[in-house]
Amino acid sequence: MPAAWPEKDDHELLALIQDGSGQAFAALAERHTERFYRLAFRYLQNKAAAEDVVQDAFLKLWENPANWQPDRNSKFTTWFYRVVVNLCFDQRKRKGTVALDEDMPVIDDRAPVDETMMRAQEHRIFEKEIAALPARQRTALNLCFDEGLTNQEAAAVMGLSLKALQSLIMRAKTTLKERMKAYL
Amino acid sequence: MSDNRDDKLDSMLRSRRIEAASPDLAARIILKAQSLPQVQNISLWHSVRQLFAEFHLPKPGYVLASALVLGMVVGFSTAPENSQLSEASSATAHSYIGGDEGLL
Repeated sequence: MPAAWPEKDDHELLALIQDGSGQAFAALAERHTERFYRLAFRYLQNKAAAEDVVQDAFLKLWENPANWQPDRNSKFTTWFYRVVVNLCFDQRKRKGTVALDEDMPVIDDRAPVDETMMRAQEHRIFEKEIAALPARQRTALNLCFDEGLTNQEAAAVMGLSLKALQSLIMRAKTTLKERMKAYL
Repeated sequence: MSDNRDDKLDSMLRSRRIEAASPDLAARIILKAQSLPQVQNISLWHSVRQLFAEFHLPKPGYVLASALVLGMVVGFSTAPENSQLSEASSATAHSYIGGDEGLL
């Protein structure tokens, strides 16, 4: 891969992908795979399913690069978050409710065993409560807390007004506070 | 008290753990993409140009095709007026051949 590839911004890479450049696609995939995997994992709580979703999203982009329209979509990541979230919804509809991955590593070697077990349990319950939230509330939380998007960016991803997004976050937090009161 | 709970909840939300992706995930995606063809978005104008390109002929081809079309047009437009003449010349040819057969 030429040295210039990583220096190109997303929009330049996308223009090259639309001209059929596999190298540009490789650069874009390497740059963003981890970030979109994290988002997919938050939804699906399953490594294999999250990896499949990210792979599908990138392959759809490769096969149909014209889906990205720079004049309609302001930022690649904002648009692609939406693609990944939609694929996660589809995946959940197909597979039904999400079972938390029992093999998920939650052990912190530095903490004593009892505390570690307590934290692991707390973590598992917390994830279950988040998974039980309505999809839009969960999306809002994932985008703002995990992906570090500003409220404005998250609202753009979800196609909502800023107020509507803030309302979703507030309702999600109220529900979580109620359900997790034993641990707060 | 409520503020403490809010802070704790925010901290829990920010410190959620995830299982790391396979280190070769990006490489797998890139490899898979290499085996997939891209769907090119072709505009109407582009597809019309492509259609004409399919019928591209060298210049002598155009001359021959034009001559053929012109000949057909002239032929069809003059055929009814000369039909009696062609029948007459056909009859002459038959009698001529018949004469030859008589000699043999």
